[in-house]
Amino acid sequence: MRFFPGGRQVVIGEYESLIKAMTKANIPIVASCGGEGVCSRCKVLIKEGQVKSLSTGKLTGEEQEQGYVLACRSFPESHLVVEVSEESKLGVHQVVLGEGGGNLKGRADGSKPGDSILSGSNGLCAGGSGVPLFRKLCLVMPEPDINDSEDDLGRLVRVIRSVTGIKHLQTNLDVLRTLPQVLRQSGWKVTVSLTGDGRYQAVEITEVEPGHTAGQYYGLAVDIGTTSVVAQLVDLENGRVVGIKGTYNKQAAFGDDVISRIIFASEGGLGELQKAIVDTINELIEELAKEQKIKPVDIRAVVCAGNTTMSHLFLGIDPTFIRIEPYTPATNSIPAVRAGHAGLNTHPLALIRCLPGIGSYVGGDITAGVLITGMAFSGKLTLFIDIGTNGEIVLGNQEWLISCACSAGPAFEGGGLRHGMRAMRGAIEHIKIASGGADVEYKTVGGAPPVGICGSGLIDCVAGLYRAGIIDRGGNFITAGSTPRLRESIEGMEFVVSWSGESGGRVDITISEAEVKNLIRSKAAVYAGIRCMLQTVGLPAEAIDRIIIAGGFGQYINVRDAVNIGLLPDVPVEKYSYVGNSSVKGAQTALISGRAWEEIDEIIHKMTYMELSAGSTFMDEFVSALFIPHTDLNLFPSAQS
Amino acid sequence: MTVTIAKEKWAGKVVEMVIGQGPNAIKVGGENTLPFLRFEGEIPNEPVVALEVWDTEPPDWPDVLASAFDGVMGDPVAWAMRCVDYGADLVCLRLAGAHPDNKDASPAEAAATARAVAGAVNIPLMVIGCGIDEKDAEVLPAAGEALAGKNALLGCATINNYKAVTTACVLHGHSVIATSPLDINLAKQLNILINEMDLPINRIAMDPLVGALGYGIEYAYSIMERTRLGALTGDKMLAMPVVCFVGQETWKSREAKTADSDEWGAQAHRAVLWEVITATSLVQAGGSVLVLRHPESMKQLKNHITAMIKEAGGK
Repeated sequence: MRFFPGGRQVVIGEYESLIKAMTKANIPIVASCGGEGVCSRCKVLIKEGQVKSLSTGKLTGEEQEQGYVLACRSFPESHLVVEVSEESKLGVHQVVLGEGGGNLKGRADGSKPGDSILSGSNGLCAGGSGVPLFRKLCLVMPEPDINDSEDDLGRLVRVIRSVTGIKHLQTNLDVLRTLPQVLRQSGWKVTVSLTGDGRYQAVEITEVEPGHTAGQYYGLAVDIGTTSVVAQLVDLENGRVVGIKGTYNKQAAFGDDVISRIIFASEGGLGELQKAIVDTINELIEELAKEQKIKPVDIRAVVCAGNTTMSHLFLGIDPTFIRIEPYTPATNSIPAVRAGHAGLNTHPLALIRCLPGIGSYVGGDITAGVLITGMAFSGKLTLFIDIGTNGEIVLGNQEWLISCACSAGPAFEGGGLRHGMRAMRGAIEHIKIASGGADVEYKTVGGAPPVGICGSGLIDCVAGLYRAGIIDRGGNFITAGSTPRLRESIEGMEFVVSWSGESGGRVDITISEAEVKNLIRSKAAVYAGIRCMLQTVGLPAEAIDRIIIAGGFGQYINVRDAVNIGLLPDVPVEKYSYVGNSSVKGAQTALISGRAWEEIDEIIHKMTYMELSAGSTFMDEFVSALFIPHTDLNLFPSAQS
Repeated sequence: MTVTIAKEKWAGKVVEMVIGQGPNAIKVGGENTLPFLRFEGEIPNEPVVALEVWDTEPPDWPDVLASAFDGVMGDPVAWAMRCVDYGADLVCLRLAGAHPDNKDASPAEAAATARAVAGAVNIPLMVIGCGIDEKDAEVLPAAGEALAGKNALLGCATINNYKAVTTACVLHGHSVIATSPLDINLAKQLNILINEMDLPINRIAMDPLVGALGYGIEYAYSIMERTRLGALTGDKMLAMPVVCFVGQETWKSREAKTADSDEWGAQAHRAVLWEVITATSLVQAGGSVLVLRHPESMKQLKNHITAMIKEAGGK
């Protein structure tokens, strides 16, 4: 079969779905439901040939007549020519690479969010007794003589120990086999590669090269997000970040969220999911290597931060029981593995370390966040919120930490909404709706013609619809006295934010009642998670000293609007700050600082995981938050005025 | 040694609601204490009892229940007068005939029935729809208009049709029953939405959709208890009197519908007990208006309430 645009060709069997063919042809496609035939996002147009379709999902009669089918439920019956529309493709969206905030509205002071106790000491092996994941040492060794006839390895170990203080050193057979020749031919002047696993005093001599050839050697810090993947290339000699790249996670072809991917993995798709993420990271490595003019084999250590499911899928570990009561992952703390074993295109002996998590839904990406915010070692009571699909929240200070995942869903990242999108060019990021809803003013990213609504726009939109009297506090459309913008559609009532033709937009951009309620559920989940944690420790929201927001969406958020709809607690705006991609920042810190691993151990040890599905507290809080801004209006005094 | 009686000091109270007009009006609510705990607060009004009257003959009422209304079940006016004779505090007119699967009676027919019943009895009226939200949004405003100024209790307003029902109450001077499914937060949300349509909180009653004995009464009990505690601790949006549709739930139960048996005993006795125990339990949880079906149940419930009030030191 052939694909347009692009013209790529691929051969498939009659029992392989079109979505599988597209994966083969490396054409990224949206399949929010994981190929269940219900989300209708993987719509493609058959230009030539015959297919057999099992279901048509929500395709309209008109679309079916034109020849649209669902790629996940269609199988070839002949040679095919298939057109893939832009809306079905996974766009190369804007990825939050790791830079700190700055555009968080309302931060009054000039404070830098994410000031870490580690910043300023980010040098190699900085402080403490930890060891870096990888380093090279240039050594000049004393030659043996009749009074000092120690064996070659013993001599090498003795010298390394005297330079580094590392007590336990191991090596491998390959090194031993060539060691006598290398030492002598180089005149006892060698470069030694040391690989540690970051947390223990066990370090391996992985390579001994003749002469002083240290040259350049690099590490890779990777944030494996459910939706986006970001990789940082770090010069391990000086700890500097030399390059950074981000892209979407190719696993999105098998489901939008971790649950649908776990199901896909349990049904035999684990290999495909693993390949998808390894391919994603390898592509980033290739791009970074090309850009920095280095060889992938110069990458000698990798630290990954991802949620528990992502870590499992990345290494091909069975994730089935993460989602089955009582929610037990294979491990929260994955031991170091070799890059060659995991399929990463770096030095084959490079160590990969995944940051440890503490539960099924609070993983290494959150540990990374706690690490770089320094909250676990601060006297200030800090609330850390990752406003993403999984909605992890951590509350605590130097004495205690408590965490949970409230499953906010991808709505604020544009997922599951007909006109939702990430904050890229053409996304409506701010909306003003006049009373009654007749007039709508909006602003798009880059001032481009509108193509959809991103997270901040959606928050504005819900707040605006309520203020304008178009929805009630429960998110129901009030139809009486409606404007032409409020209309009936096949999926119920919808409000037109932007008409086609307006500002150069090509389609009507709408938000439906079901979508408003979807957003209210998302915001309710986040707020209910926060309330549950405060209740568990018996503290009021006023006790929180600072609130740190992480995650791709946080960058664009308007705190005032978020408080108005009840997404975030009604505390002074000055308490809020944005930390950026704390996951990749944490991975980078762990890559270059041995001491970070000691802190991570302490964080993991301190942090309590709260299972929200046990007991009735979360459900109670969730329902009370399914309201604008909340059922208990006293919790939002400033939203009332 | 003297025992000091521990008394709770409550900050809030249940609002007092007036149902009906003139000398026949009754009041419910107004408590600033838990049920029957008069030693630490005021209980200005006792719980009241309504009997159901249908605009159309109920198809599946067992004989032990139907026999109490022998000869009047085809005539809502005569039926309502029989309820007055039995000593009901209110008549609860159920417009079951408006149900699309029943007679699909029109709003005008519903209004005529309501007007006729109201004209025949000298006790306050509740008017309940057929339970289909869309249809109730049509028949309740029509009935409300027919009863304009009579200060009836109209229901049930749900999250889907509260706007139409509330508007009718605002326009024609009635109070509303706000129904939500056994959830304190959903109940509160509906109260806020209704209140924001400018219906004052002393014209809103809450229906938590109780379950009968053996069929979820414990959920209803704890929800009602939380509602009362909410009112007493100052939550205005939970400070409304609670209506319990006890008869409707009781007479669905197998224990009330099954004929005499060795295992369960005589139906007449058992069925009435099922209704009485459900009602007395919910009175303990803070119910203000108990809607029953059997006159014998009503008699026993009223005896119980009188005894409890006397125990608590009388009025």
